[in-house]
Amino acid sequence: MTTRTTTGAASDHPVEDKLIDHRQVRRAIEYYYEHGFTDGLPVVPPTESYVAEFLDQVDRAPDEVVAVMAHLNRECTVRIAAVNAIMAGCLPEYFPVVLGILDAMRLDVGARGATRFSSGLWQSTTGTVPITVVNGPVRLRLGFNSQGNVFGPGFRPNATIGRALRLIAMNALGIEPHVLDQSTQSNPAKYTCCIAENEEESPWAPLSVDAGFGPETSTVSLMMMRSCMHIEARSATRPEYLLADIANSVSRTGTLYSELSSCLVVVSPEHAHLLASHGWGKPQVREYLAEHAVCTREAMERAGKIGVSRDMHWLVPAEHPDALAGAEPKFERRGGTDVHRVLSSPDDVVIVVAGAANAGVSTVIDLMGAASSPSGRTGGMTPAISEIYSKDAAATA
Amino acid sequence: MPAAAVCTDKFRTTAEAMARLHGFDGYRFVAVPHPIASLELPELASLAAATLNEVLAIWEVGE
Repeated sequence: MTTRTTTGAASDHPVEDKLIDHRQVRRAIEYYYEHGFTDGLPVVPPTESYVAEFLDQVDRAPDEVVAVMAHLNRECTVRIAAVNAIMAGCLPEYFPVVLGILDAMRLDVGARGATRFSSGLWQSTTGTVPITVVNGPVRLRLGFNSQGNVFGPGFRPNATIGRALRLIAMNALGIEPHVLDQSTQSNPAKYTCCIAENEEESPWAPLSVDAGFGPETSTVSLMMMRSCMHIEARSATRPEYLLADIANSVSRTGTLYSELSSCLVVVSPEHAHLLASHGWGKPQVREYLAEHAVCTREAMERAGKIGVSRDMHWLVPAEHPDALAGAEPKFERRGGTDVHRVLSSPDDVVIVVAGAANAGVSTVIDLMGAASSPSGRTGGMTPAISEIYSKDAAATA
Repeated sequence: MPAAAVCTDKFRTTAEAMARLHGFDGYRFVAVPHPIASLELPELASLAAATLNEVLAIWEVGE
């Protein structure tokens, strides 16, 4: 889909001194560091005229509030979003996608104005990271990478749109490390994590179509990631071999903080075609994983995750002071062994096809929350999906 | 109902920032040594006993 135009050795093309004063450039870059407006990497200095170019891409008032963190008394307007998108390195035509992500954040408003995605999840010690998936024609028009190195560097829309979201979180919503961002470690995706679905090499309907959008509608889907795991199944000849690897990764004890988990499976085209060629669609894959992603009682006892805590319903050792007396995860008997299903239903599995069609490797991403949990709390499991609007809808759609 | 917020000392900075954001700069809370999630019951009881006076002090101010 997207081909990088440069090859070979490192580039050596400094900006001509006669065109620009390098001291001014350096001063502008350092200004943003001095004011704490960067993610650690240099940012593009936003100018009024460049902000105007971004605002011209959308039919929305500059002072419209597009992101709210009610519990922090913080919000972000269209104009501030544009400033941060510029700083992240976006091009003006990317701005409708950035606003699409912020629109998705505001979906599913719950009690006290909080939504599944505008909540304390952004500040969690877990280090939860937003992951966005782009679908539809906008992928081709803007040059998103959906193929090889899909989680890696080298593609401006992927790199800068994901980064724009992080800069908005830090600069507009005030979620800065060591202060309101309490992540114990987080993961590298916190700099940026925006992928596109490889719809062209998928045997299945894309995520957006599954959600009810037409194939000509461009969308962005938002989920909250906990961790990202690589699946090596290069020689799998049957769907069950591949899905056993995935189920095993989904159900490892290390991922379980509560009884239930949820996941995004980013299936490579090779794996997707292995499944499809045996007649497996996404519903069958989801059902299989919900049935087979299980943890044995022995494994949970060994990891001290056999008790259930009082209010939070987290897994704790049976003898833990916060353990509910007599409470334990739900087990069922299989082949003489007690096993616990870590997925509450097939709805706890989200499937996207991305990556190169060059090897049998895929990715499992732990998401935050589950479709239903014993505590009745809902997390950020199913994606929040928003259509991408721009002034020129025909060009975007 | 009298109330006093208790957190571990590793969350002091965040707690102070949250209080400022809501217009309560200087809001008093009790910070106990981190961690508590992995303590046994006797250690928790000892920590609670050592913290009680600080909690009561906040209650008294509230009254």
